[in-house]
Amino acid sequence: MLKKLCFGLVAVALLAPAILAQTVDEIIAKNVAARGGADKLKSVQSVKSTATLAMGPGMEAPGMLIQKRGNLARLEFTIQGLTAIQAYDGSHAWQVMPFMGKKDPELMAADEAKEVEEMADIDGPMVDYKSKGNQVELLGKEKMEGTDAYKIKVILKNGDVQTVYIDADSYLEIKEETKRTVRGSEQVYEAAIGDYKEVGGVIFPFAIESGVKGSQEKQKLTITKIELNVPVDDSMFKMPAAATPAPPKMDAPKN
Amino acid sequence: MIKATTSDRVRIFWTVIFILSLATFAGAQDVTLDSDTLSGLPIRSIGPAATGGRIADIAAVRVGDRLTIYIGSSSGGVWKSVDSGTTFKPMFDKQPSLSIGSLAIDPSNPQTVWVGTGESWVRNSVSVGTGIYRSRDGGENWEALGLADSEHISRVIVHPKDSNTVYACALGHLWNANTERGVFKTTDGGKTWNKLLFRNDSTGCAEMVMDPQDSNVLYAAMWDVRREPHNFRSGGPGSGLFKSTDAGSTWHELRKGLPEGDLGRIGIAVAPTNHARVYAVVEAKNHTALFRSDDGGDSWAEVNNSFNVSGRPFYFARLAADPKNADRIYKPGFFLTVSDDGGKSFSAAFSTSEGFGEAVHGDLHALWINPDNPEQMLLGTDGGVYQSLDRAAHWRFLSNLPVAQFYHVSADMADPYNVYGGLQDNGTWMGPSRAVDGIANRHWRVIGGGDGFWAFSDPSDADYAYAEYQGGMISRFRKSTGEARDIKPLPRANEPDFRFNWNAPIHMSENHPGTIYLGGQFLFRSKDHGESWDRISPDLTTNDPARQHQELSGGLTIDNSDAEKFETIYTIAESPKNGDVIWVGTDDGNVQVTRDGGKHWTNVAKNVTGLPAGTWVSTIEASHFDPATAYATFDGHAAGDMKTYVYQTKDYGKTWTSLSTAELSGYAHVVRQDLVNANLLFVGTEFGLFISIDGGAHWAQFKGGLPNVAVRDVAIQARESDLLIATHGRGIYILDDLTPIRALTPEILAKDLVMLPSRPSVLALPAGEQRFDGDSEFRGRTLPEAAAIAYYQRKRHIFGDLKVDVFDANGELLTSLQGEKRRGLNRLQWPERGKPPKMPPAAGLVENEFVFYGPQVQEGTYKVTLTKGKDTYTSEVKLVPDPRTKSTAADRALQHKTVTQLYDMLAQLTYIVDATNELSGQMKQRAGAASDSKLKEQLNDLAQKLEEFRSSLVSVKEGGMITGEKKLREHLGELYGGVNAYSGRPTQSQVEETTVLAKKLDDAGTQFKTIVTAQVPALNAALQGKSVEPLKVTSREDWDKKQK
Repeated sequence: MLKKLCFGLVAVALLAPAILAQTVDEIIAKNVAARGGADKLKSVQSVKSTATLAMGPGMEAPGMLIQKRGNLARLEFTIQGLTAIQAYDGSHAWQVMPFMGKKDPELMAADEAKEVEEMADIDGPMVDYKSKGNQVELLGKEKMEGTDAYKIKVILKNGDVQTVYIDADSYLEIKEETKRTVRGSEQVYEAAIGDYKEVGGVIFPFAIESGVKGSQEKQKLTITKIELNVPVDDSMFKMPAAATPAPPKMDAPKN
Repeated sequence: MIKATTSDRVRIFWTVIFILSLATFAGAQDVTLDSDTLSGLPIRSIGPAATGGRIADIAAVRVGDRLTIYIGSSSGGVWKSVDSGTTFKPMFDKQPSLSIGSLAIDPSNPQTVWVGTGESWVRNSVSVGTGIYRSRDGGENWEALGLADSEHISRVIVHPKDSNTVYACALGHLWNANTERGVFKTTDGGKTWNKLLFRNDSTGCAEMVMDPQDSNVLYAAMWDVRREPHNFRSGGPGSGLFKSTDAGSTWHELRKGLPEGDLGRIGIAVAPTNHARVYAVVEAKNHTALFRSDDGGDSWAEVNNSFNVSGRPFYFARLAADPKNADRIYKPGFFLTVSDDGGKSFSAAFSTSEGFGEAVHGDLHALWINPDNPEQMLLGTDGGVYQSLDRAAHWRFLSNLPVAQFYHVSADMADPYNVYGGLQDNGTWMGPSRAVDGIANRHWRVIGGGDGFWAFSDPSDADYAYAEYQGGMISRFRKSTGEARDIKPLPRANEPDFRFNWNAPIHMSENHPGTIYLGGQFLFRSKDHGESWDRISPDLTTNDPARQHQELSGGLTIDNSDAEKFETIYTIAESPKNGDVIWVGTDDGNVQVTRDGGKHWTNVAKNVTGLPAGTWVSTIEASHFDPATAYATFDGHAAGDMKTYVYQTKDYGKTWTSLSTAELSGYAHVVRQDLVNANLLFVGTEFGLFISIDGGAHWAQFKGGLPNVAVRDVAIQARESDLLIATHGRGIYILDDLTPIRALTPEILAKDLVMLPSRPSVLALPAGEQRFDGDSEFRGRTLPEAAAIAYYQRKRHIFGDLKVDVFDANGELLTSLQGEKRRGLNRLQWPERGKPPKMPPAAGLVENEFVFYGPQVQEGTYKVTLTKGKDTYTSEVKLVPDPRTKSTAADRALQHKTVTQLYDMLAQLTYIVDATNELSGQMKQRAGAASDSKLKEQLNDLAQKLEEFRSSLVSVKEGGMITGEKKLREHLGELYGGVNAYSGRPTQSQVEETTVLAKKLDDAGTQFKTIVTAQVPALNAALQGKSVEPLKVTSREDWDKKQK
């Protein structure tokens, strides 16, 4: 028994200085390692995620996200058989919102484009943060909903500020808060992240619950399938020229 | 500094390692209840914000073209608006005290804010602070920076040029002597503080002003003040008005022209445009007046002592100088008044609006005037915040600050049930526990005035409610008419005057519904709704005549408000197990019990060991399981004792066991026992809500959505198993359904994951309300329209699936839900609906809310399987109809059958349209590849025909306009939505239209088949040998497979 205790002490002694001395770069490195390692991450050229978005009292939208190295992303989700698209081509974000009877692609307003733009960072903002122009800062270690977590502030190049909580055991991200200024007003979103699974040697979260911070109304994104390195043509990220629809034959205006 | 030697360091190292290892091993063995175990359960703030609570201070600054506003509430934390006052967010909820004394925005950096905690409006119900705090990110994060023992900080001033130099004006302890009081200064951003001005251990700083033109000049009002439970003293030899001209290093008292003798509280203002002009409102013996100096305080002359200027000087001691006019000085008091002639004359009270209407709540403590635009003002009152844009002529109430200061809470048995409670200076209110789309201010109703305390609905006549105001002024309110009848017992010829506490207890018998108790020094009981009262006890207090001088209380100024009425009963509890067992606790420390309905009483206070004699009994809770058992809290804060005292007796008070542990903090207001699990206890203290699942051996604070606010009372709504929490500063909170907490045991806490029971979930009656209220309306959370699935997990879930599958009685999977991941208790919401219907693509949405949702499931018991990685756990969800439903089980069965039929029809239509689109796509593709021009034409023709066919099924007119185009999809969608929006029998029209549309859908299916069978085989024959693939028609079976 005593022997076991002594062994425990030594183990703790070896661990203790390491815990105390962690820098933000070490934590990010451990996060990268926990996700499968830098080489594995870099070997991923594209990620296709198939998902269901659940919101409100029983509303669900099937969807798909394609990310491609080179800052490309395209998100699709379907409601009542109508498929919406949001995409980023490396410099512009655009969307098709077909729900009100218009299927023309539209350029997204700069503030709102940030979310799509951030999806296009296939490795996440902490990987190679310097070369991306992002800044990181370790805010400390604290209990996040009862779980020990490292709290890292990430200031993105586009001005959004993320607070990322890294689980102190697994070094995987468990929560993220994003502050974004939209038309001069700050908006804060939060996302709980989990259900990590391995795909092709890379660890991905399969569950993301998100919404406005503090709100009871949360959207739950459940990923059902992730495929890596599926061939994706760059053209699908480019905004198509608006197909000018023939003027519709008008019935008597309804009102 | 002591230098450590190498051997010391080795020893320290090994000591640290040993402690670390102990912590590790202890953690592995013993899983106890902690805050994070409980706090995952959602909790609902329901307001009201229709009325506010006391506001201690307001600060604001222009940022760009917008105002950033900070509101410091007396016991509800700091609220911030960045949109000039349209919306507010709480910023201080996780700090140890939510009592705000003073706010200061750093003039050099508007993101830096200082908060001095512990308000200085030291009325009887005042809370305590825990020092001074700074945020450098606009209130997101805070650092505690000392003065922790000051308890009340009246003012913080940040140097106009140097962010590290800050002055704090600390009042110090109110209820006893201490030395951390006076004027403090830091020059290193709060790391260290120097005490610059100190008088004695009962005198603190009540106000401090910096000369707006010379930051070396400071004025400080020192106030000699003490509260005791039975007395208040404002004024004494320590009081005085002081000035420093060397940035606080030295001070001299200003006396020339001020009253002789002891002074009380003093308020100060310096005119921003003329710094020689100093105003002071000075309390002296029976004479409070406004004084003015025109020589920087060297000499003073009394200029005014009108009612609002001189009234209640301990409570109203702020002056606000106009930013641009040195002759204009505002006096917040009972009302707002202003002088335009340097204080000689004051206006009539104009915060009361025109006529007799009271536009603004009385009792004003904070007035912020926009320095850029003195027409704009923010006024902090005992009832919340008002904004004026026309120099105080008219006011808008900010009705989105839920800072109501409740004393007590109860519930009735209506459905949804209502909560009742009284508020400090804001009357008595009732409001619903649920409301469509949220509990708004308009849902709340005032049922009593004055300061409100206990309130109950009458269980024997639901039209009656009982409310009271200070001093036992109990009334019976009739809900249907609004009549309020005064039913206070009055002394008969041979009886002494009755003494009622500020917060006189009312108690409702559980054994005899309708029987009411009321406590003075005697215990009164009424069995006829207050028409008559029986006195069922002798004087149960110590009846010490020395502590019965309310009429002399106040110090220099008599302040006889009943707030110091002492030697009174404060808590009453009739045993739910035996109506003859009645417990009474008094403010002077007596614990009295009768076992014969009041004939004989025994004072068992002396049996409570480890408690200072005479400590105020804040609650007695009679056990719901055993007549001999009771719980009690004691509150010594009014004697300067801030400890948490919780006790239990199991033998009618002969012996008492302390249930206090180090896990509790704050002086205790209330203990309650659960109605089902005798070991589940709730304690409310000045700093929050604490829960024990093991009869009080361990406690954990419920945090989560509940701030660290004073919890004055808790109650349980028995039918719903809801915990109602009366906070003094943040209104009412509801913790829905205690069932999972009731099931928690120490053994469960040690397990990885355990499914926990919930109460049966009511199938929501679908309802909605169209409103466009803007962003500034408070809306309390309502119960989600969802069934609850509760579970406990020991650690946060990170790897692998955490999902919950719900199965119907036939074992068919209805839906899969993403699980909640956090450590401790989780409550997953299942919206009681299946997946949304399949819909074919078309020109636009079918705009019926209920098309977006799947059909509501039927009542019954559903099996639930939780999968966590490789492990599975099973449980059940019981769904019951809403008791308010007008439909029968047969009606609901028909609704379900019809909505399911329409749901299936939408799927069939989607299949037809998908298959049509697929086929026409193939045709266009083959046509492009075909070289044979005739074949090409045939293919294109048929593709065109299919397109026309599709156009007959779904809307196709695009362009973002309201086309009004309706095809089968739109008709079917609207009908589905209509039937899905009501849980009862569909209308005759709906049933008939279902048949009509079913026929149309059949026809469409036939038409599609006809096209396919008539043309596809021939085309495929023609395509043969053309090196293109044959056309393939999607079958319904293949389509179904693809959907999964």
